[in-house]
Amino acid sequence: MHLTDHLTDLQLNEYLDNETAERVQIQAHLSSCDECVARLTTLQELFAEIESLPELALTKSLATPFMRTSSLPAQLPAWLPLTVTLQAAIALVVLIVAAPFVIQLLPDLEIPSLSNIFIQSQTQWETWLGILSQFQIPTLPTFSFELSNLFLIFVLAVVSTLWLVGNGLLLRNQIK
Amino acid sequence: MNAPSDRDLILQTRRGESEAFGELVTRYQTGVFNVCYRILHERSEAEDLAQEAFIRAYDRIHSFDIERQFGPWIRRVAANLCLNHLESQKVTTELDDERDADQTQRPESVVEFHERSEQIRMVLASLPANYRLVIELRHYQELSYDEIASELNIPLSDVKSHLFRARKILAEKLHAPD
Repeated sequence: MHLTDHLTDLQLNEYLDNETAERVQIQAHLSSCDECVARLTTLQELFAEIESLPELALTKSLATPFMRTSSLPAQLPAWLPLTVTLQAAIALVVLIVAAPFVIQLLPDLEIPSLSNIFIQSQTQWETWLGILSQFQIPTLPTFSFELSNLFLIFVLAVVSTLWLVGNGLLLRNQIK
Repeated sequence: MNAPSDRDLILQTRRGESEAFGELVTRYQTGVFNVCYRILHERSEAEDLAQEAFIRAYDRIHSFDIERQFGPWIRRVAANLCLNHLESQKVTTELDDERDADQTQRPESVVEFHERSEQIRMVLASLPANYRLVIELRHYQELSYDEIASELNIPLSDVKSHLFRARKILAEKLHAPD
């Protein structure tokens, strides 16, 4: 590169990007060439403008899918407590109005005696006992080989261990 | 109490604490979204791809090199996703209208700054996709020419010429008399 030649746009780009092997020569040229310094300044201003672009805000949080859903119970709708209060008030009024009528009707009602209720219950119980006495436990299928107690205990121990390990794996995120 | 470092949050995520990753997302979501927006120039697509970048990062968190910086890495993931998206869709989109919202209530200097920013965005959006990508990787992610060539899988000479031409177009359009 001749110091008397003006720098090319590509050389200025590479110089500003710190991607040139001719840095010393370019600096030497710039120290004596106002025209190239002016071009370099214009390019620097363009870089600054590009890089000064403000960041736009998001309209939603992207973190939501990674946050655990809240375990709090769902809030009751605002109308529900009011409805319940209203129902309770109506029920109280109806009770007060109906009370005298109920008191008048009560002597005419036929209430079964305690002994009748006991006899009916006993009859029902005996019927159930009769049905249960006819029940037979199904017979277990027979195997062509013998299962020793030791083997059964071993199988039970393996299954229990697998069950515990499986549950532990499933719940490992909740157990802290 | 000091906030946990990115490294701590990554280790917690590896132990199954997804909230820790949520914290990482909160830290970097705006930057990642802006990477996507500068490349795609369409808000909803940019948000979708930014979300996708974080989901991919979450899936690969166990293979992530803990000695690396998470911020530059996730921005690179997002840029690559946008590159793939552009290649598959070949989209040509227009800028959102929402950013041209009412400016009458703002002080004059703010309006001027906003208008200039909009002008830069418009000019960036008008660039061919491969030019936008090199501008993004060089000016916003501060990658070297070699890194850009490797990232985009293009020759070094293409990186230089794309950058040079992109800046020439930007300078012409931004400094053109009205």
